[in-house]
Amino acid sequence: MIRHSRELSVAAALAVLLTLLAIFAPAFYEPQPLLSRLASAAPRLLIACGVALVMITRQIDISVGSLFGICSVGGGLAASNGAPLAVAVAVAIGLGIAGGTVNGVLVAAMRLPSIVVTLATMVTWREGLRLWRQGVFINLPDGGQWFGLPMRAGQITICCFSILVVLFLAIALRHVAAGRFLYAVGSDAEAARLAGLRPNWTTFGVFALLGGLTGLGAALHMVQSPQVDPATGRGLELEAIAAAVVGGVAVAGGRGNLWGVLVGFLLLSCIGPALTYAGIKPYWDRTTQGVIILMAVIADGLRRQKGCQ
Amino acid sequence: MTHAAANPRSRGSPAFHAITAHEALLLVIVLTEIVLFTLSGRRFATGDNVANMVRHSVEIGLLALVMMPIILTGGIDLSVGSLLGLCAVTFGKLWRDGGLNWPLAAAATVVIGAIAGGLNATLITRLRLPPLIVTLATYSLFRGLAESLTRGVDAFTNLPADFLFLGTGRIAGLPAQAWVLIVIAAGVWLLVHQTSFGRSFRAIGFAPEGARYAGIPVNRRVALTYVLSGTVAALAAITYTARFGTAKADAGTGYELAAITAVVLGGTSIFGGTGTVPGTLLGVAAIGILSNGLSRVPATMSSASELTGILTGVLLLLALSGGALSRGIVRLRRPTTSGKSQPHPVSS
Repeated sequence: MIRHSRELSVAAALAVLLTLLAIFAPAFYEPQPLLSRLASAAPRLLIACGVALVMITRQIDISVGSLFGICSVGGGLAASNGAPLAVAVAVAIGLGIAGGTVNGVLVAAMRLPSIVVTLATMVTWREGLRLWRQGVFINLPDGGQWFGLPMRAGQITICCFSILVVLFLAIALRHVAAGRFLYAVGSDAEAARLAGLRPNWTTFGVFALLGGLTGLGAALHMVQSPQVDPATGRGLELEAIAAAVVGGVAVAGGRGNLWGVLVGFLLLSCIGPALTYAGIKPYWDRTTQGVIILMAVIADGLRRQKGCQ
Repeated sequence: MTHAAANPRSRGSPAFHAITAHEALLLVIVLTEIVLFTLSGRRFATGDNVANMVRHSVEIGLLALVMMPIILTGGIDLSVGSLLGLCAVTFGKLWRDGGLNWPLAAAATVVIGAIAGGLNATLITRLRLPPLIVTLATYSLFRGLAESLTRGVDAFTNLPADFLFLGTGRIAGLPAQAWVLIVIAAGVWLLVHQTSFGRSFRAIGFAPEGARYAGIPVNRRVALTYVLSGTVAALAAITYTARFGTAKADAGTGYELAAITAVVLGGTSIFGGTGTVPGTLLGVAAIGILSNGLSRVPATMSSASELTGILTGVLLLLALSGGALSRGIVRLRRPTTSGKSQPHPVSS
């Protein structure tokens, strides 16, 4: 089997889709809308990468969407109460790390299954936020938008910064010992333990990291609009998991890389606009998303079966 | 040493087992809830409100009852809430646009539910995919299909009166839909506690490989639990539609969490292997009373749905932690000469 065959086939699909868009909908490539679309997708890319790291460690986190909402509201409240932008960003990231820590403690120290833990934290954060804010939007002060830069410069900054973070994570995952730990723990936690690693600390760390990335994503999202919607982030967890699965992260852990996640994320992000250009109504979006995840999951299963024989 | 022998319930001979410590604790919680809400709530302990509580708990009860065998085998089904929505919409579509009368539409909906459960079952058993990821994908797919079928806005109303009777009427003094719950509860109880199927579910939950070597058709048994779940989710969609009088795409949002919470609260191990039907029903009652009671207490009335969500999440975490702590204590007490024997196959 060719190495990286999954990543290459997803990249090919992306190339085909981009070519089709170039032929049938050249408007897709107009610089300003494209840049806006990239900037608004960048925070979600960070979270998709974080979720991929968690999945490589053979865990899952479906609470990121709710946590994203909490981080956005926390950062937004700090900013609207006159805190400097840096403090607001720090608040968002801090809340994210705190939320990730809760999941990490429950999963790593208490040895509870991550799916149920994050199911519980997902609903607890979401309903807690609803109780606290009652769905009220937060108006942000004028100076903070796009970090005080002109819009285009702000968008470019956000895109470049996100790419740098992903680049850093991807390289760390491949070439730094701590990154290799994720694969070791995800492949076989017991073997990793016998090899002298501490699977619990690795698991805890990866959840905290995902929390931090969620907070960072929320901060990058916050500076893009004049208001904070407390319902922001709904459904983010599925989008992130879909990007990871499509990008070749094995659902059983231990396999995958962030290049694949990047390509998978871009592919999924392009499908929405492509469907719109093709004249398909937006109420098909979720079905398409479900079908794509299912196809990726089936491909994963078929390949594994082939691998067994 | 077999775990099955250590578990008195799995012998299956006594028709009614003595209640376990966990169930006794849960019973105390339920009774405390009842006392607290009777004292502080408005019109809590009235016949109408009790009937109301039962009506509101039927769907989650149905989903929890069939979630229990799945969790017994070490699996999970996150798609039930979405499937409820899809089935509600399909039912409405078949009745209004398909021109079927409602019993026929309901029967067709149940078949569709079984097929949807079969899709989960096929992917999980044939492709050996983790139930978690399969049902997460169908969670998205089923809800998406429900939205697509209704174009996101359509709702089916003006359902016939004899159908709405199922949601609002009474049969022999009990709310009509309670009879559906009773029948399904009895069925699942027979299946899990009185037949070899139940024993095989537990065996699979403890050790799938061991169960296979013991001659249990693991795939067929596991598939059965998911098909059952899909079928009963369709039934829940019908009682849900009858109760609200409309079928909308967002029907049953978040019900998967409530069902899983009820099951885990009811003492079923999330790792599989142990669990009872009476415990599950007590778990359903604990959640149903909590949600109803909060909406009856003046102080919490206005934010009852948020508080119910938060408390459900916290309760789930507490129930899980309690299980984890007692496992830890058992591990400490047991002399560890046999090395680190894994008590449960950890489902990923």
